[in-house]
Amino acid sequence: MHTRSAMLLAVALALPGAGAVAQMSRATLGTVTQVGAVAAPEVPASPRTVVVRIDNVLEKPAAVALAPGDSVTVETVQPGSLKPGIQATFYTTGWIFGRGVAVREVGHEPGRSPVVVTDQQAAVARARLDVNDADLKAHIQRAAMVVAGRVEQVRPAELTAAPTRPKRITEHDPQWQEAIIQVQDGIKGAHAGEQVVVRFPGSRDVAWVGAPRFSAGQEGTFLLHKDSTTGSPNAKIAGREVPAYTALHKVDVLSKQDAMRVRTLIKKP
Amino acid sequence: MRARVIAVALAPLVACNEPDRQVSQPPSKLPSVRVVDLIPASLSGETWQDAEPFLALYDSNPKLMAASAFTPNPGGSTSATAPIFVTNDGGDSWTLRNTLPSEGLTADITHAVGGNPPVLYAGILKVPGVPLNELKTNDFLSPATMTLQASRADIDQPFVRTAQVASADHVYVGLNDFDAPDGRTATVDVSLDGGATYTSRRIETRGTAGQNGPSIRPALAQDRTVYVAYFGWRSNAGSDVASDVVVVRDDHGATGATSFKDLVDPSDHLPGRLVATHVTIPWSNAPTLGQERIGSTLSLAVNPRHSDTVYLAWADRVGNGDIYTVHVRRSGDRGATWTGDLRTVTNATDASLAVAANGTVGLLYQQLTGAADASRWVTQLEQSRDGFATHQDVVLATVPATTPAFQFLPYLGDYNGLLSRGPVFLGIFSANNTPDSTNFPQGVVYQRRVEFATHRLLDGSGAGGGAAVAVSIDPFFFSVPVLP
Repeated sequence: MHTRSAMLLAVALALPGAGAVAQMSRATLGTVTQVGAVAAPEVPASPRTVVVRIDNVLEKPAAVALAPGDSVTVETVQPGSLKPGIQATFYTTGWIFGRGVAVREVGHEPGRSPVVVTDQQAAVARARLDVNDADLKAHIQRAAMVVAGRVEQVRPAELTAAPTRPKRITEHDPQWQEAIIQVQDGIKGAHAGEQVVVRFPGSRDVAWVGAPRFSAGQEGTFLLHKDSTTGSPNAKIAGREVPAYTALHKVDVLSKQDAMRVRTLIKKP
Repeated sequence: MRARVIAVALAPLVACNEPDRQVSQPPSKLPSVRVVDLIPASLSGETWQDAEPFLALYDSNPKLMAASAFTPNPGGSTSATAPIFVTNDGGDSWTLRNTLPSEGLTADITHAVGGNPPVLYAGILKVPGVPLNELKTNDFLSPATMTLQASRADIDQPFVRTAQVASADHVYVGLNDFDAPDGRTATVDVSLDGGATYTSRRIETRGTAGQNGPSIRPALAQDRTVYVAYFGWRSNAGSDVASDVVVVRDDHGATGATSFKDLVDPSDHLPGRLVATHVTIPWSNAPTLGQERIGSTLSLAVNPRHSDTVYLAWADRVGNGDIYTVHVRRSGDRGATWTGDLRTVTNATDASLAVAANGTVGLLYQQLTGAADASRWVTQLEQSRDGFATHQDVVLATVPATTPAFQFLPYLGDYNGLLSRGPVFLGIFSANNTPDSTNFPQGVVYQRRVEFATHRLLDGSGAGGGAAVAVSIDPFFFSVPVLP
């Protein structure tokens, strides 16, 4: 099973098996069985491209229009690895989006006939969970501190500007804010009862569109990284200087219930 | 000056200065105008805020164009690349290719073509960290990731223009370089060798309020004259900046050891003509003009065949109750002297100028009209052959301004794009994508699945076009015939 994070489009592609060749060839002649061909004119054909008809979409980005019966172009990893009539589950990334969808193969698994959709969906769901867990575990390992807690206060950050770097006026200014988190469960690098300062962008600029925001009263599980972004590594709590942290990736802010999952992943070899 | 409008289309209830424009009339349709939504059919479920569009095209091949917006990689924010749109049929259809080395989307992007199709240069602020990346591809239709040619931090609003001289592409990237000395941050990165090497040319010669404004806009003529417009920020009080509007010029393509010194102001004999002084720039990084932020609207265009003639547009706050007002001025003597305002448009942004080969000037802008829930963004192209004494106006879109709610800023863009090629103006803007014919008086073509009868966007997921999709901001390409 391929469990790479690049697995963005997982589609079960049912190229017709022996019993269905005649019927399917009629329905989709020239597309279903083509190797070295493309499903839409905007995609360059090559020995690595094949046209496949989708039997079932197991996972896809919401923006992408794909439905059973659609034909897509797949650029295969290895030329000649797929023959007409092969049934497979493909793991792919997006390539070209026009009148049709063209994707790049990350890997594939030979399928069975008839396709047992529920089995495939369950398999992809398991794979996705594995991917997410692996991704989260990597984030946990990189984090300096992991805590479950509650945001007590949000305030504008008071950054000590480096003398050689005067404050600049730009639409991309992150407008740093600070969240003071009361630690209820110190999962990594912290203890219950501590307070930590987490900086986050208050700006609504496009440069920061994916960064998590904090609000007073918010509860969660937080993966915190020492602040190497603002240029001012320390903050103050009640006049006391403390290290400042950031949580800029969407995985850095999880639900409070995720604390258990995080603990499990930390213990997992 | 009282403008006599030879309008073929008037925006409803536009709030312009000229009394004779206060007429409420439905916009009418001009023949041969095309408006095309760039979102392809295979991304019919797209709901992102595709703001700040830009366009690049070849004089030698009208089929090929590249376009961009803050459109994300459909694969999501963990993707290593961001997309551009390409067309090889003159803009009738567009595809999206993930060729920019930026995680998911960019934080700024402009681009321009090389002399030989399909070479393309781009300047982006890369995500994460927003460093400048100066990029090139020898084939923008290729799905290969663009090649990084130069990179550095602390840059804002890279704005790319190109020219071919002999066999070499000259690349000019206007940018605000926060690492420039003495707060004179207005800069043009100049490459005379197809982007292989860049030299940063500082163009501000006066004292600043610690920096210049973010928009630094080059404009190139065929005789190698290069003009650049910028905001000379002189002081600030709160969120208002007192700024000069400055134009510099280089008569030799910025190939000399010193550059952009060929136009001096008579008041202080320093390079950089002060076209307007101490205007008030309302710097607001929050929804201020409707749901849009304001503070950096600036555009410059030179007659490509007669470099004596150059047009300048900027926006500031006049103070008569306006939020933001676009001004247009012209010089007919290489920037030495300038007219007063030829045209003013109240509560407008995203002004873009272009001059066609026959001398007709085009002005693209987006104006907020009406109030509260009735407010609309009206995207309009004006053309004039007589310094806006008369002008032909074409409403390209008039869409609700309160929906969709903004996801981030800019809502529509800090800029959009207008160019000319032969007998047509070609451009791009972002707008609410509701498939309602009354919103697009010139007509509109969608590639994505829509149902005009019900004004619904559809996700293309099955029979009948699939499920309904929420309204969002899309980029729209357009072409309009140049006034003969």
